[in-house]
Amino acid sequence: MADASTQPGAPAPSAGAPGAPVDAGGSRNVRALVFLRDRGIIILWLVLVAFFAVWAQPYFFTLTNAALVANAAALAGIFAAAVAFGILSGALDLSIPGTSAVAGVVAGLALAADKPVWLAILAAMLTGAAVGYVNGWLVQRGLNALVVTIAMLTALGGVANLLSDGVAITGLTQLTWLGNGDLWGVPSMVIAVGLLFLVSIFWLNQFRSGSRLQAVGSNIEAVRRVGLLADRYRILGFVLSGICGALGGIAVLATTSQASPSPSVDLLFAAITAVALSGMPLTGGRGSLAKVLVGTLIIATINSALIIKGIQPYWTTVITGLLLVGALAFDKVMTSAVTARLTASAVVPDGTDESKQA
Amino acid sequence: MATSNTPALQLRGIEKHYGFVKALAGVDFEVHSGEVVALVGDNGAGKSTLLKVMSGAHPATHGTILIGGVEVTFANPREAADAGVQMVYQDLALVEGADIASNLTLGREPVRRGPLGWLGMLDKKAMRREAEREIRALGVSTAPVTRPVEMLSGGQRQVVALARSAVRVGDRENGVLLLDEPTAALGYAQTQQVGNLIRNMAERGIAVVVVTHNLPLCFEVADRINVMNRGRKVADVARTETDNDAVVGWITGARPPQEHLLAGT
Repeated sequence: MADASTQPGAPAPSAGAPGAPVDAGGSRNVRALVFLRDRGIIILWLVLVAFFAVWAQPYFFTLTNAALVANAAALAGIFAAAVAFGILSGALDLSIPGTSAVAGVVAGLALAADKPVWLAILAAMLTGAAVGYVNGWLVQRGLNALVVTIAMLTALGGVANLLSDGVAITGLTQLTWLGNGDLWGVPSMVIAVGLLFLVSIFWLNQFRSGSRLQAVGSNIEAVRRVGLLADRYRILGFVLSGICGALGGIAVLATTSQASPSPSVDLLFAAITAVALSGMPLTGGRGSLAKVLVGTLIIATINSALIIKGIQPYWTTVITGLLLVGALAFDKVMTSAVTARLTASAVVPDGTDESKQA
Repeated sequence: MATSNTPALQLRGIEKHYGFVKALAGVDFEVHSGEVVALVGDNGAGKSTLLKVMSGAHPATHGTILIGGVEVTFANPREAADAGVQMVYQDLALVEGADIASNLTLGREPVRRGPLGWLGMLDKKAMRREAEREIRALGVSTAPVTRPVEMLSGGQRQVVALARSAVRVGDRENGVLLLDEPTAALGYAQTQQVGNLIRNMAERGIAVVVVTHNLPLCFEVADRINVMNRGRKVADVARTETDNDAVVGWITGARPPQEHLLAGT
């Protein structure tokens, strides 16, 4: 898994990662390039933090602000995870805001009817899973994923409004502990999202089903030809995307104490931006959830610094757009540089000398 | 090459019709364990169709297929694979983002022992060990097995795809490997490497069928050469008993089909 390289504890899987038995000679360059490519976004974030710490002092580099940034990133992170699960399994799922709205309304109705919190959350997650399953089933029948999920987004927006009679369900304070509470100063939302990412990353890198899910996203034919039921993993990707979308709905409900039936496409685009920023190609099959989280942190960090400096928030979107193009170009340049060095080099690492055989 | 008397894979009287077009008109074919048979012919001669019949991708209209002397029918490539017939397609179908080890073990990934294994937790060390062992057993060297496929050269990819199929054929009796133009996209040195690989696989006892346009490769790796022309087999000769000119003659139709192949048609 290309993606494992950024996970702590994963045993050095990608080429040139420290500890991997690679490239005896002339490879320091390659190793540095691979390191830059794989860790570039983390370095970028650290540079941003360092810059803002000076530029926006004394308010930026404080624990209070760190909690605020983390909280904002956490909320965006759930939706980014939803997008990422779709992409990893090979499809851009645009229905996420719809799923999140319906799931939020379902949870809201349950809470308003004085049902227990766990039941409301479970109902929301099941709603998300069901939406994902339908998406996956349709796409697996050969329908275009973009169109199917846009149709789903539109339909779900209607469903959410029908369920809630077109108005937000307000006064839902049962989840305030999650939306605004904290544990020893760490916002509960940050802890919850951290757990979600830890479990997801662990599963994607260390488990057979997780690795096959990504294989399907990269080349579904390869998975079919070794005799696996590839379509199941495709559907699983949509289901996970739906569940994360539903969790996003819960998170919004917890933060705002209400369940709004209108899908927020802004959240979706922020999520796609974070995913793209992480270097995960939208064509699917590779990338790292950990880096997706850093992507959301970068956006939240820029946002925070500009707010502190009193700069118009529109600049955030301008800068994010520029960063996105920059990140894309960086990844392309790095990948082709690494590939060129690896395939053109006369000495293949473990001794085969391709050019001498010629 | 030492070969047993019962062919690993045998085809008898294979016909394949596409509507009114007869793509294959009564073709017999056999390959023994440990033998490399090259299938050559012009475009449209029927060699790829024959390969697809063997791989289960296109069921034959008429005719019988036997594995180790036992009659079988393949409804799809999966059934063929279960019977020990593995096809390596021209588009290698590798998982680009995953490393060599993951590609080689895809679908049969080793898992850890104990409860985590029941949940499907991967044993990455065993994955790497297995992949390294397989690559070594094929007698080729390629990049480290932890390298993602997207960073490999064309030749290295071909090796990975061949190795993946070879792993699945393994040591089973009457294992057959079908290769569709394995060197079409490769340079000279890489073609050599793939040629060696094909020989090594035959030496391990695998029956190998190679469809190719590359006649030099043919004469290097094949034990026997079968020539197709307009849906018929026009020549079936040992490599040592023919030469380039004769084979080209059969391919173009300038040379008449071998007598024994005309019988019964």
